[in-house]
Amino acid sequence: MTKVTISRLTKRFGTAIAVDDLSIEIGEGELVSLLGPSGCGKTTTLRSIAGFVEPDVGQILFDGVDITSLPPERRNIGMVFQNYALFPHMTVRQNLSFGLEMRRVARNEMAERIDAVLDIVQLAGLEDRYPRELSGGQQQRVALARGLVIEPAVLLLDEPLANLDAKLREEMRFFIRSLQKRVGITTVYVTHDQAEAMVISDRIVVMFDGRIRQIGDATKIYARPVSREVADFIGLSNFIDGRVKARSEDGYYLVETPLGEIRCRSELTLAAGDAALVMVRPESVRLSREPPDNPDLNGITGRVRDRFYLGNIAGYRVLCGDGSVLQVQEAPWHAGAVGDTVWCLFKSELAWIIPR
Amino acid sequence: MDHPPIALDSGPAAVAGASVAPRGGRLVSARRLPKNSVLLILPTLLFLACFLVAPYFNMLVMSFRNPSTSAVYAPGFTVANYTRALTDPYYFGVLAQTVVLGAVTTLICVLIAYPVAYHLARTSSRWKGLLYVGVLSPLLVGVVIRCYGWIILLANNGLINNAVKKLGLVKLGLPLMYNSFGVGVGLVHVFLPFMVLPILSAIQSIDPALEDAARSLGASRARTMARIVIPLSLPGIQAGAILVFVLSISAYVIPILLGALKVKLMPTLVVQLLIDAFLWPFGAALAFILAASGGIVVYLFIRATGRLMRGLR
Repeated sequence: MTKVTISRLTKRFGTAIAVDDLSIEIGEGELVSLLGPSGCGKTTTLRSIAGFVEPDVGQILFDGVDITSLPPERRNIGMVFQNYALFPHMTVRQNLSFGLEMRRVARNEMAERIDAVLDIVQLAGLEDRYPRELSGGQQQRVALARGLVIEPAVLLLDEPLANLDAKLREEMRFFIRSLQKRVGITTVYVTHDQAEAMVISDRIVVMFDGRIRQIGDATKIYARPVSREVADFIGLSNFIDGRVKARSEDGYYLVETPLGEIRCRSELTLAAGDAALVMVRPESVRLSREPPDNPDLNGITGRVRDRFYLGNIAGYRVLCGDGSVLQVQEAPWHAGAVGDTVWCLFKSELAWIIPR
Repeated sequence: MDHPPIALDSGPAAVAGASVAPRGGRLVSARRLPKNSVLLILPTLLFLACFLVAPYFNMLVMSFRNPSTSAVYAPGFTVANYTRALTDPYYFGVLAQTVVLGAVTTLICVLIAYPVAYHLARTSSRWKGLLYVGVLSPLLVGVVIRCYGWIILLANNGLINNAVKKLGLVKLGLPLMYNSFGVGVGLVHVFLPFMVLPILSAIQSIDPALEDAARSLGASRARTMARIVIPLSLPGIQAGAILVFVLSISAYVIPILLGALKVKLMPTLVVQLLIDAFLWPFGAALAFILAASGGIVVYLFIRATGRLMRGLR
């Protein structure tokens, strides 16, 4: 297993900066996702690790060895591309043996390794097919197998599920995750799909404009975003502007907002009078006819303006006193109707002051 | 959610949509061609029949005629023209030289065209447009003018020979023209675009990610080229090679101007027989033999390369 260190990586294309002073350490056997909108530099970062992009500044180390100047073929990486990039003029077996031939693996060992990896990706029996004779999901698994059969130091996946239909994509997330755990290979996974990143990763790296905005596991990224940008990119959020009123002994802050006082969490040390932006996820909010009955619950009152039914949830838009709208996701059988006066209740734990 | 009025408005639109559907259905059935649409190809068919098939047939008949010194041909039919052409070592030698020169020209064209085509297919340079023009430039000027350009360069007292003589590199001058070398230079120059363009389009249709994939699997640039790019661009190489070969063995102007009559090739020989020696039946037979030989070589080439491309779509 290999540890990957990226240190101060910077890459410009002309005047545009693709990756800006990016540093991260990826542990042995860890799966790290690079998550961000298109053009955020995640693919450039991945291609720098692969050796297809030569960084302007910075180093990439595998197990402490600087490989920045090595060409891709000498880095011992396995890579899976968005469109799979299977060699169309080769059968599945020939595709898999390509990397082994380049490594001068003996013929009988080659056959063994190919059979073993085909077993892992559940493609045994298809080795004499050409890629065009396979379904998208099968091609995907061949691409994975081709990257794994060479037993690379690092596995790099560039939006590998983007071309699959929604159902298959969800299945493949779990497949890739369990496969990666079984093989125990250090993996970098590029995606713009937050759900994919959350399912698959040990840690998520959120990127915008070539910079890392936050690194953490799914819970951390989702519930404790470091900026409004991150919170906005991942899931839906309500933002409420206010000022710190006091800090309680148990570590919560009381924030004075136009919608009333909100008790919330923060990782910052704030003083009374500081500006604070409170984030509440729509699914953290429960609708009730009664005001909060315990001090750990925040309550904001308003009138239901819209209700829409999405099958697995019911979405509400609640118009509050100062004219702002709170988004709420309730159970689909929740009976609130348009025009009702309701209380939006949420736990202090689930209200989060976004550091600015 | 909050668009019920719009949903109500969609009533008339839905009606309009319903009326569109059958029209669409009729459109689909209209794609089936009407019965007498064969008439559409009639003009082309007539044209080809008059100006291609008929002359060919006339030539074919001519090639079986008896030769005559006082008329175009003498009465009666014979196969003597063909037996003479195939058994006389002189004519067979000319045929062999023609095919060999065509093959060598084709090979040199492949070797020169491939790197150019690869570069053009993969470059994102702003000079790309200019490069295209450069590749196509041989087609922009008439072949006669281009040959005279080469004569100025290659002639015994041409630019190159004068230069090397002045520099004292050689005493007598190099034989650059009136030999297969000069003709080959002309053929390669003129027919190069016919090689570059098919290879270019073949390489453009290869996903660059395939090259990245090969590199990531441990293949060097050279091996990626040999195992991935070249095999996948074989259809382009094949098409270009056929074009260049067929054009080369039937070229007339270039051999005449750059080889004079010192380089014996079939097209020049046929014209000589027809115009100078007035041996129409024999000339016609030679022309058919050249066409048949070209056809056989191309057929064998397609067979051979087809085996290499079996995995391709």
